Amino acid sequence: MLEFNESLVAFDLEAQDAREVIEILAGKMHAQELVSVEYGAQTWERETIHPTGLPTKPFCIAFPHADADGVSCSALGVAVLRKPVIFQNMADPDEGLDVVLVFMLANRDPEEQIHTLRNLAVLFGQPEKLVELRDQTTLQGVVSWLRRELRLS
Amino acid sequence: MGRLIVVACGAGINTSTIAEDSIRERMAKEGFADVEVKRILMADIEGYLTRDDLVMIVSMMKIFRTFDVPVFQGMPFLIGSQDEKNVLLDKIVEAIKKV
Repeated sequence: MLEFNESLVAFDLEAQDAREVIEILAGKMHAQELVSVEYGAQTWERETIHPTGLPTKPFCIAFPHADADGVSCSALGVAVLRKPVIFQNMADPDEGLDVVLVFMLANRDPEEQIHTLRNLAVLFGQPEKLVELRDQTTLQGVVSWLRRELRLS
Repeated sequence: MGRLIVVACGAGINTSTIAEDSIRERMAKEGFADVEVKRILMADIEGYLTRDDLVMIVSMMKIFRTFDVPVFQGMPFLIGSQDEKNVLLDKIVEAIKKV
């Protein structure tokens, strides 16, 4: 079971930095009682130690998450940013990446979400798909695009 | 004795699960029934280095040291095209055949 709905998507979001994006998405999850109130802080703390910026093409994305503590129901939150914010590169934490899309997967158990993880990895490897998602013009467009591409119910 | 591939990432959650899944699927296809693929925290790697059955490390992070077994950078499993994912799996299979 993976919760995904339009209240978990931040569309055309204007955020100052990576921390604000993480707090906003975690706040949306908490508003639906999917994660604890501390989940945003936990995820940010993990991000500072194990960054999740990914050097995808033609623009970068981020894949923040914390461990299962504080997750009552697995959920996917997504932010489409109006202006990029900097996340550090997972493969090389010294490098900052300009991130446009943020996928926050709060997990009870990663193996239970293996289908979504597979579909995310397929999406992350296709530049034309990432552009399609970024160029959606409405919140509803983002939600239905993600449901279709990630095969979410 | 079986052969162990460890897949290491910072947090040992979503990222390494994706790589673990891709490698497991290919090992099954190749018929390598004795190969175990296990995701671990990079911080825990020391405990695996002394194991006789360790044959390969796949890391989602940059590696700043050398190991006695082959090491592959696993980022293509997460962000590579299908071709890049297959090329990496081919390299892993070739290396596994040698051990």
